[in-house]
Amino acid sequence: MTLFNLGAREAGQYAEPVTLADLAEQGEACSVVLESGDDVAALKPYLNRLELVVLRFPIFRDGRGFTQARELREYLRYSGEIRVEGHVLPDQADFLKRCGVESVVLPEGSDVGRWERQLKRYSVSFQRSVLPEKALDVGTRVAR
Amino acid sequence: MKRAVRVGAGEGLVITANRLLDGAIVWLSADHTWQTAIQRAEVLVPEAVVERIEGVQSRAQADGVVGIYEIAVRPEVGGPVPVTMRERIRAFGPTVHPQFAYEQQEGAGA
Amino acid sequence: MTTAIGQYQYDQVDRDFLAARIEEFSEQVARRLDGSLTEDEFKPLRLMNGLYLQLHAYMLRVAVPYGTLNAAQVRAFADVARRYDRGYGHFTTRQNIQFNWIRLEDTPDILRLLADVDMHALQTSGNCIRNVTSDEFAGAAADELVDPRVHAEILRQWSTLHPEFTFLPRKFKIAISGSPNDRVAARFHDIGVIARPGDDGRVVFQIFVGGGLGRTPIVGQELYDSVPEERLLATLEAIIRVYNAHGRRDNIYKARIKILVQALGIAAYREEVEAELAQMDIARYRLSPEMVASIEARFAAPDLQVPAGAADILAEQRARDWVFDRWVRSNTHAHRSEGHIIAVVSLKTPGEIPGDVTADQLDRLAGLSERFAYGELRTTHLQNVVFGHVRQDQLYDLWRGLVEVGLGAPNVGLIGDIVACPGLDYCALANARSIPIAQKLGARFADMTLQEQIGALQINISGCINACGHHHAGHIGLLGVDKRGEEFFQMTLGGRADDQAAVGKILGPALPEDDTVDAIARIVDRYLQERSGKESFLETLKRVGEAPFKEAAYDTV
Ligand code: HEM
Ligand code: SF4
Repeated sequence: MTLFNLGAREAGQYAEPVTLADLAEQGEACSVVLESGDDVAALKPYLNRLELVVLRFPIFRDGRGFTQARELREYLRYSGEIRVEGHVLPDQADFLKRCGVESVVLPEGSDVGRWERQLKRYSVSFQRSVLPEKALDVGTRVAR
Repeated sequence: MKRAVRVGAGEGLVITANRLLDGAIVWLSADHTWQTAIQRAEVLVPEAVVERIEGVQSRAQADGVVGIYEIAVRPEVGGPVPVTMRERIRAFGPTVHPQFAYEQQEGAGA
Repeated sequence: MTTAIGQYQYDQVDRDFLAARIEEFSEQVARRLDGSLTEDEFKPLRLMNGLYLQLHAYMLRVAVPYGTLNAAQVRAFADVARRYDRGYGHFTTRQNIQFNWIRLEDTPDILRLLADVDMHALQTSGNCIRNVTSDEFAGAAADELVDPRVHAEILRQWSTLHPEFTFLPRKFKIAISGSPNDRVAARFHDIGVIARPGDDGRVVFQIFVGGGLGRTPIVGQELYDSVPEERLLATLEAIIRVYNAHGRRDNIYKARIKILVQALGIAAYREEVEAELAQMDIARYRLSPEMVASIEARFAAPDLQVPAGAADILAEQRARDWVFDRWVRSNTHAHRSEGHIIAVVSLKTPGEIPGDVTADQLDRLAGLSERFAYGELRTTHLQNVVFGHVRQDQLYDLWRGLVEVGLGAPNVGLIGDIVACPGLDYCALANARSIPIAQKLGARFADMTLQEQIGALQINISGCINACGHHHAGHIGLLGVDKRGEEFFQMTLGGRADDQAAVGKILGPALPEDDTVDAIARIVDRYLQERSGKESFLETLKRVGEAPFKEAAYDTV
């Protein structure tokens, strides 16, 4: 298992994340793992103690995690680490990053170079994201 | 795409796939190679099919094929003829562009 | 390259982006070939580049954003058809073009060739926001209120590699029109947008959601009557976010937004969208007048100069040549500017494959557009091609150029103007062949005098329930079904895709191909008997009901 950083911030070390259901009982838990069907709004009462939210992708085609990450950043103003685990592809690196995900759990033997390459591929995007990207002068473009 | 295959009296099964590189339709021959002409396909009895498919499935990447499945055919003089219209179109080409029909001579290898 | 008419002009940033995207795709192809991507992983990635694996080969679907093309792009299609296909292209009902005989290996080269003329295959398939379609008469029609192409381009750019919406439950189709006469089937899209001028001079948008055809045909419902331009992107983001979070992922037949809208009800869906909007950082999604202006500035408008007397010349030529006159009656549409006219090229030559064009015909269309239409042409959701701005005094020469290459069929909007999907001859999902029955119907009604007498009658044919041929929206719809290995066709009557959108009703049991052709001939005969005055088929159907047609259809069977 490798932890890959999508952005500048180094992935942190945290206690084993608990499930959403257990979060209420375990008053000291500071990390949680969400399944793709979970509603991030349920994290509202615990935001002040959460340091890590892990989003689990059952399969790379299940794109709910992208919305979960954006909601965490945009609606809940969550500023701790968002990590993704499960089945994701390096082809998704940039999408994850622009939705606010900071680290990815990769299986042993993964080609980290592909992830790095994907993050450098584009110098422009065509819509705003949760990252502080600079707007350009044509349409909805932003510089990367 | 996997469809339930019914095998009627006098019918057999052949195994087919698409070639990864160009999408061309291929048929599994008796020497376990993939051929572009259905005439070269080996006609199997239903009992033999599962095992044969498992075998070629495990080599699919090396053989460069995708979407392996079996279809029902009627053995005829010129070679096996698929039972369904869909598979006849796969075997012999689209019906609406006669110039695109697949050549039917023996030995058109993959 | 001079600025193209009616379409967004790329700059170096757009070209660099496209080059990087193609590079990404070639690496994906290489990873597939060396086995580091499985077919299951590769499939969604290739689909996002418009590449399907069909019956006989790969099929590449190239995007024609809002249906607008320039001559160089059409020549590039001809080039692809010759070098990488078998000499044909196929126009689809989503204004795109498909090539049916493509090799996976060749695809990166084809994409580079297309990129040279600012074309791509991005998001023409896959569970993402698809190529945005628009009105084929945009910027030209006399009845238009807003040219929808500027906003269509904004939507194209905004949806390109959208980080959140690239792995939706299912594909997502948006259409936008700026005319009260809906020519984009807005109510049969996941989101349909109708633009009109607002009180403050900015554009406002009426938004429909949850329409679609396929297994569960549903007419879209109005979500908002007038969304201000500034809130357009925010609103679309909110709608799609609700869908991405809650749309079904367990069953692909229930995964479209229409199913979610039905399950929640339109009022509850609106509440969900409002709840998103209330939490969203609205400033981030604001579509400012400056952003719109910066896109608009990249669109060139034609300088519509006409010599005096153009209309008289046309009138004279029509009087002199009745064949031309007949074509003008069926294949033209009023232009907003005096002395100009819109010409529709039918790709439904009787007996030919609906929507098919040869490489030579593509070259001819490109040449004619340069000579007579400011180098611009459009594709339509009825699988035809449009020259948007033609001088009336030049229409005759344009028409002769079309006739020379077999593109002069005077049947637009008539019974011969049949829409058909590729069906079992090419499509891996089909139950029945759509093209042969379309050819037979075309031949049966080939008599142009009869076609004119019958009047507006749209036939749509799909080879399976996925409804690519929009059969539910056809005045007469045909759906191919498989009955124990035999091809049968189920008939529907009364569908329409315009502002009175309706789903056709099933007439009765499905029939074999030849019986279906005969049944339709009898239905048409019956209509001609029943019709009163100048009634259209749909009007007669509405007045007399389906019983007489049902009786006629199953008469001798
Ligand atoms: C031959 C390759 C094709 C394949 C495999 C294919 C596949 C499909 C599938 C699976 C759907 C249903 C998706 C859903 O409802 O979720 C669909 C819908 C559709 N297809 Fe195709 N299609 C093909 C060609 C075409 C062509 C040639 C056209 C245009 C003539 C077309 C136009 C459409 C349209 C407009 C829809 C949307 C119907 C709706 O709103 O539900 N497709 N296609
Ligand atoms: S309607 Fe069915 S048969 Fe026709 S193209 Fe679509 S999926 Fe294929």
